[in-house]
Amino acid sequence: MLALQTILDGLVLGGLYALAAVGFSLIFGVLGVVNLSHGAIVMIGAYLTWFLWHSTGLDPLLCIPPVMLVLFAFGYVYQRGLIQLAVDRSSLLASMLVTFGVALMLRNLLVLVFSPDFKSISPGWAFSFLRLAGGVTIDLVRISALGASLALLGALAYVLNRTRIGRVIRATAQQELAARLCGVNARHVYAVTFGVSAAFAGASGAILGIVLPFAPPDEANWTLNAFVVVVLGGIGSPSGALLGGLLLGLISTATSQLIGPAFPNAMMFLILVLMLMVRPSGLLGNAFAGSR
Amino acid sequence: MLREAVAKHRWWILLAIAGLAALAFVPFVLMPFHVRVGQLILLSTSLGLAWTLLGGFAGYWSFGHTAFIGLGAFAAGLFETQVLGLAFMRAEPLAGLGLGLLVGMGVCAVAAAIVAWPILRLRGIYFAVAMLGVAQVLAELTNSIDAFKGSMGLVFPRIPAFGLRQEAVFYYLLLIATAAILLIAFVVKNARIGHGLAAMREDEDTARMLGVPTERYKITMFVLSATLTGALGVIYAHSLGYITTGSVYRTDFSLNMIVYNLLGGMGTLLGPMIGAVIMVLLTQVVLGGFLNLHMFLTGAMLVALVLAAPKGIVGTWQAWRRRRASAAS
Repeated sequence: MLALQTILDGLVLGGLYALAAVGFSLIFGVLGVVNLSHGAIVMIGAYLTWFLWHSTGLDPLLCIPPVMLVLFAFGYVYQRGLIQLAVDRSSLLASMLVTFGVALMLRNLLVLVFSPDFKSISPGWAFSFLRLAGGVTIDLVRISALGASLALLGALAYVLNRTRIGRVIRATAQQELAARLCGVNARHVYAVTFGVSAAFAGASGAILGIVLPFAPPDEANWTLNAFVVVVLGGIGSPSGALLGGLLLGLISTATSQLIGPAFPNAMMFLILVLMLMVRPSGLLGNAFAGSR
Repeated sequence: MLREAVAKHRWWILLAIAGLAALAFVPFVLMPFHVRVGQLILLSTSLGLAWTLLGGFAGYWSFGHTAFIGLGAFAAGLFETQVLGLAFMRAEPLAGLGLGLLVGMGVCAVAAAIVAWPILRLRGIYFAVAMLGVAQVLAELTNSIDAFKGSMGLVFPRIPAFGLRQEAVFYYLLLIATAAILLIAFVVKNARIGHGLAAMREDEDTARMLGVPTERYKITMFVLSATLTGALGVIYAHSLGYITTGSVYRTDFSLNMIVYNLLGGMGTLLGPMIGAVIMVLLTQVVLGGFLNLHMFLTGAMLVALVLAAPKGIVGTWQAWRRRRASAAS
């Protein structure tokens, strides 16, 4: 019974990890940039949702679309104004340092604006739960979190695989020059990709805020998680992020259940190093550009 | 190779010796507080140089070098308090410190040699993030396993020596460490291995194809860099007197080691030194007044730095000199 509950909790956490990582994975796959400010954007999403819910009483799940819209704009400007500049002027590795600097700035701003205290979002339906067969319980919050994560991942997969802009993004990732020769405005595509990534990070922040209490310094963990998920699953695809996220969720709940609550990160890291050595392109290995 | 390098750089070498000799008089002239600032500058300089042995010379940017500061500090601290005992440390403080240094460096060397095998197969961003992970995990293990005393903290005994004040003792220790690391870095850069590393940094596959033993070189540099960083960690821990996980496993250490090099000039010896001096003066003196904006300003500085001078001060200066030389001819 305990095993079943562990697996269920792991899956819920995994869905959240997957959604938080998919944007990171997209940027890594398409732009080749490791965005160390990704976790900070997740936290911005959580705080924006908290603010909307707290000030207007809007249901937190309904807050997701406006939060995504705001963060899309933020991501677009951030990429065109700063990251592209860093990549042009020095190197991809240096652009990583720029994103680290931005992460520090954002974390500091969040502390200044919202205080360093833990916040949590608890809508009216937060305390209802379902009792499944055999004493396994799952609360409504977790069901809706998992559901929303899966729905958003599905939507992103649809956009990437079936729509025009998705095709353009994949083409640019495969070969920038060829895409530009076909009339693609590569810089615009990069910025849009970054915007999409930021939007999904924001959505995951909103869901994370419903499931767990959060504080600004958590951002570093979310960035590291995203990296592990991407390495586990494979770069640049929603299905890879989903697989990696679910695995990571299961591993970390199982580790804290079986070995001890202090060890999930150590275990995660062990698996990360093993994966990087054995199969650096991830389990699915369908990266479009990042594994170059 | 080394002899030619010494002849070519003889003015720089004389300048370095004169500079280090001049720095030796600082504790007699300045106030204790300023000696502490000097301590910090020396620590930062030597950390930047230790990092550059791998990051600057071979192009393997470690984002988690603070792992070795922490590892060295805790290895030495546990050895001194648990194995030697406080009674021995009180009776023979200098011998205890020396033994602690040896243990700290030894543990770092062994740990680096073990970690090097899987991790140095990764390149670029993957290596950087893997090192970030190493630091994170070591910090968490130190904190959560009670035997390591990471959450309770370790107390280091005072090191009275030659009738000097504590801050002067650590100032001199760090001065000696800086001189030693500078010497090692100079020798490495100008020896055969240094040229091999430079080739690797430009193109590892080509270097390997041309017969550079890349695998051996980078493992050697990783272990050397880790060992020296560990030694600095031991000295730093003693200068603090009391450490917990958070005071030696500090992400900002890792970050700063990169920033010093980036600001000064990657792959040079002068670069990390200039970078460290500027950054310490800036953060301690200028930013000291904005405590709650500290992180924001550090981040903003980092961004501005990468955008404004991607090659660093030394790199920009060299490019300017080269341009002038070509314009003159």
